[in-house]
Amino acid sequence: MGYLNNGVVTVDAILTKKGRELLARGDGSFRITQFALGDDEIDYTLYNTTHPSGSAFYGEAIENMPLLEAFADETQIMKYKLATLPRGTAKLPVLEAGFASITLKQGAALTITPQTLNYLGAAQAFESSGYTATVADVRLLSNFSGVGINTSEAERLNAASTLGTNVSKTVVGTSINLTGTTINTLFGSNSSLSSTITLIGRDSGARITIPLTITKTT
Amino acid sequence: MSFKQFDTEDIVVSADAISSTVWSTGNYELTTFFTSSTQDSSTSGDYYLNVFQTGSTLTNAAVQFSVAYGNKDGFGATDFNSNVTGKSPSSAVYGQYRSLVLGDEDLDFNFQGVASSKGIFAISLDRARYKEKLLPGTFNLALKSGSTTRNLTDNSGMISTVTFTDAGRVYEIISGSNGVSHDGGTGITATNGSYGKLFPDIGLAILNASAINADFTNTLFGINTGSGATNGDNNMLLYNLINNGQSFKVNAEETVSSNYVFVRVRNSEFNYSNNPSNISGSGELRHNSMVNNPQAYITTVGLYNDANDLLGVAKLSKPLLKDFTKEALIRIKLDY
Repeated sequence: MGYLNNGVVTVDAILTKKGRELLARGDGSFRITQFALGDDEIDYTLYNTTHPSGSAFYGEAIENMPLLEAFADETQIMKYKLATLPRGTAKLPVLEAGFASITLKQGAALTITPQTLNYLGAAQAFESSGYTATVADVRLLSNFSGVGINTSEAERLNAASTLGTNVSKTVVGTSINLTGTTINTLFGSNSSLSSTITLIGRDSGARITIPLTITKTT
Repeated sequence: MSFKQFDTEDIVVSADAISSTVWSTGNYELTTFFTSSTQDSSTSGDYYLNVFQTGSTLTNAAVQFSVAYGNKDGFGATDFNSNVTGKSPSSAVYGQYRSLVLGDEDLDFNFQGVASSKGIFAISLDRARYKEKLLPGTFNLALKSGSTTRNLTDNSGMISTVTFTDAGRVYEIISGSNGVSHDGGTGITATNGSYGKLFPDIGLAILNASAINADFTNTLFGINTGSGATNGDNNMLLYNLINNGQSFKVNAEETVSSNYVFVRVRNSEFNYSNNPSNISGSGELRHNSMVNNPQAYITTVGLYNDANDLLGVAKLSKPLLKDFTKEALIRIKLDY
């Protein structure tokens, strides 16, 4: 990874891991039909509304910063999307999962039904395309599945399984079911295991990350 | 509201031909040539010689091309079996290239009207060097023995209609440079026809052994056409001609398919950011001035399919300010 030359505006484009996978599959699923814009790397606290030179310089610190090259890992890029909203919008869509953090005992089950606040003119709403949920370490959960979205792509994603390695897993649904692992050997000498679950609204682009803890019972 | 569909005219597929140098040195011209004594003395050395750009034992040595001698009657090489005459590495090489190029085991190579040439030299460029195909008109090869030098090129600059064979396009190799003859004539010999044929689509040059031999007949050069148990080592003869000539020029040509994606952002679109540094936990904007005059900074363009899978990403080299008074057009090039 390196910095891009910011002397001129250029575009450095790559395929993501997912893009290469779908291209190799050759079943027509690699078909670019839409785009989104992101502002990853931007720190809006640098936007200085008290700049002594006036409003033309509020964004001075942001506009001159060099940017990093693109990552191929689709889960690590386009984290923060730009949204099209009516002028005068004071509140942006945010996700509400009902939990600031999740702690489960071994074998215990939980269903998360996210909602999007400040969305489509409503105080809270369910997004019609559902939500993407990613657990950073799938070993912590014996069940991690999404329900409520029946597109072929969502069903394929929900049916994918891993083989007990420390990798993430992503599912799609309007509700997300999870069950704590019952495998004691994962804990070693620890009394609990920690990971995170990231929820993303598939329409709004709003995103929330929730800490996940599984506690050992025996 | 975070995704925008492309219109039909926003995505353009373009196939562009690009040319590049062939040799590992990065130069158009290769002036030094080395063989491997190990390879020469092995079984494969009876068939062909690999030619390197530097000493074959050095770490950066890479095969640039190989040379081989073929003879329809198996002359100039040791027979596989002394009881079966005419079946030798040279006959195998001749048959191999005849099948590859002519596609008919009953035909012989015909060099511009002179048929039944029984001897050929083959110069086969390493695939990694020429990638897809050679660029006609850039083929320039100098052969030298004693004080005699012959500069060869293809005749692509002198013809208006390209001929095709089983191996794709074919051009005659003539005396000259950069695709034209040296004297404005045909560049071929009256007795032996052309000096060979260039097959740019498979990175191959077939040289007419009779024409080469006649050119250098007054020097110490002489193709061995003995039969039976004679190993003429004719591969090395051609290598010596090339090595003495000290100049082999050719470029490669490659077709690169690119997707050009035009991202058009209207003034009313993408002006608000979900970036956590821009909003509070409940979604309020950090800066009150951004309620009526939101400022967002584009750093990344995500390309998605209908299932919202992120297929490709493009990063700008610096943040692009977006607000209700600005529109943006970003051209993205995806090569694969």
